[in-house]
Amino acid sequence: MSSSAVAFERQQSARRRLLAELRTRRLPRTGGWSHCGAQFGTEATSLALLALHSSPSGLPATKEDLAPLMARQLPNGLWPAVGDRTTGENFWATAMAVNTLMILGAAPATFAASLETLVRGRPLEAGWLVRLKFRLSDRQVRFDPTKYGWAWVPATLSWVVPTSMALITLERAKRQGLIGGGELQNRLRLGAEMLLDRACPEGGWNAGNAVVYGVSLRPHLDATGLALAALRFHHELPIVRNSVTWILTHIDCPSSYSLAWIILAASPYKDVRPDVSPAVDIARERLAALVADPSAVDDTSTIALAALALGLETGINPFELKV
Amino acid sequence: MSAVVSRRIFGGTMLAGTGALAVRRMLSLGSVQDRRKPLSRVAILQEDSYDGPLDRTLMEGLRLFDLNLCGKSVLLKPNLVEYIPGAEVNTNPRLVGAAASAFLALGAKSVLVGEGPGHQRDTVLVLAEGGLQAELRERRIRFVDLNRDEIWKVPLQTSFTGLDCVSLPRTVLTSDFIVSMPKVKTHHWAGVTLSMKNLFGVVPGVAYGWPKNILHWKGIDRSILDINAAVPAHFVIADGIVGMEGNGPLHGSPRNLGRIVLADDPVAADFVCTRLMGLNPLRVKYLAQAAEFLGNGGPERIVHLGERLPSTAQPFAVLPEFAHLRL
Repeated sequence: MSSSAVAFERQQSARRRLLAELRTRRLPRTGGWSHCGAQFGTEATSLALLALHSSPSGLPATKEDLAPLMARQLPNGLWPAVGDRTTGENFWATAMAVNTLMILGAAPATFAASLETLVRGRPLEAGWLVRLKFRLSDRQVRFDPTKYGWAWVPATLSWVVPTSMALITLERAKRQGLIGGGELQNRLRLGAEMLLDRACPEGGWNAGNAVVYGVSLRPHLDATGLALAALRFHHELPIVRNSVTWILTHIDCPSSYSLAWIILAASPYKDVRPDVSPAVDIARERLAALVADPSAVDDTSTIALAALALGLETGINPFELKV
Repeated sequence: MSAVVSRRIFGGTMLAGTGALAVRRMLSLGSVQDRRKPLSRVAILQEDSYDGPLDRTLMEGLRLFDLNLCGKSVLLKPNLVEYIPGAEVNTNPRLVGAAASAFLALGAKSVLVGEGPGHQRDTVLVLAEGGLQAELRERRIRFVDLNRDEIWKVPLQTSFTGLDCVSLPRTVLTSDFIVSMPKVKTHHWAGVTLSMKNLFGVVPGVAYGWPKNILHWKGIDRSILDINAAVPAHFVIADGIVGMEGNGPLHGSPRNLGRIVLADDPVAADFVCTRLMGLNPLRVKYLAQAAEFLGNGGPERIVHLGERLPSTAQPFAVLPEFAHLRL
């Protein structure tokens, strides 16, 4: 057996262990998955469902599989991040849930209101008074408040991670013909502009503060991964190219969570960057070693993300938008 | 001194004073409860380096307080923001490890370390790169990511932010003894970040996002007061061996202070740390307000166990916006 075949088998073995661990962590009473402990988490549940059901070799998701996720949907279509329906609306969790439902083939009517609410959901910078505040007095963070995306929760500012996930979800919905119109186009354009505006000067993204008091802040791997996934169509832009380069220099990362994001984010750039495939191969080997004992990984989202990253050869990438 | 700076100093001082007056009014109306104890205890320990006998120094310091920890679950809350090579951003892992071992030796039923970084979502990465993961593994101490713990919604005790309730991690709400372990630093939004500001890290990112933007938007000073009223730390171990001055909390310069500050009152701890930084705690808005109801700031109500505050201190460098904090 060749060394690459041995590596592939090692990765698939690690992935099988991750999937087995996910099955044991399914919440017994309510269904779904928790980050840690026994409280339902929308992100953890979405990622676990994708890991277990998005592979062609796996069982397709049934209505019963999706029921715990659907049970937490609020009347306006949004999802809370955790717990029951009383813990508040969350745009990140909503975008994650809808992306999952689209990929797993849920009936579009079950999330049509969610898409509409995502398009309508505006951060504080959308208001002129807040924009004026940033123009006149609150000027320590360098950013353009006219370019906005999505907040984590209502009545706050837009940030890189929820904006990236909302862009991925809405773009997928648009391509599937589930949503359209001028307002959607406007939000997609503004969201992409916001990401480009908030990129760190040398490449990559952090939560969304690239320069504070004139000092460039460091990018973060997961935020960079998500932003790159959302901006795949803009691969020719220098800031996107630099960000791919930056993320590929971090394949020695000691955390399985960030390493999984590197793999999931960089893989869609394989066809436009010759340096991606070799780096991703190394990253997958490293990730398989880091998650050798999935029971030692506290966060269920990390287990699911790692399973998705190790399953790319045979499965789908839920964060990839095909060009 | 330029006219602009002197206006800033005047404005900043007025702001802190006005805030304190407002709290006094709330106290008189009964909308805020006076929680100050008659006396607070503080110990300033000398320790020049993280390579020194930290375990011994800390244990000797903790013994001064005669803490009753038998059967109690202890949660250590260090300040972990992100790892920047060469920068003194986070509470030193050796100090956290020494504290964990010391509390177990003093009879605690269990010791956990928990934190929820405000901007960096990958908590494991911060732990691994900063050395805390290895330190805790060696000492067999468990870490809880407070950003992703189960959350419970609890009503706020005060209403400085105007919020009715806050979601908090189960681990925080079920711990018997919470120890805030800040790094002594300047902060570009709050002036200083010490044991009270450190409790921002108990607010879970999973509920509020990264950053916990609602707290910034409602006002950092107000949020610090509401959180500390909702989750009072029982004890403080402040890492002032090497602090940070200037453009903290991430991009300031290291400042050798050579001190660990212990206290049984976060407000007293932060007042003493601020004075050690050569800054005036009464000009830090949230500290001036906290000293009216949450804890003791006045020297007459702070007992020093061991070393007293030095009569003079070389002030920490601050951003021009915080020039008014200088003594």
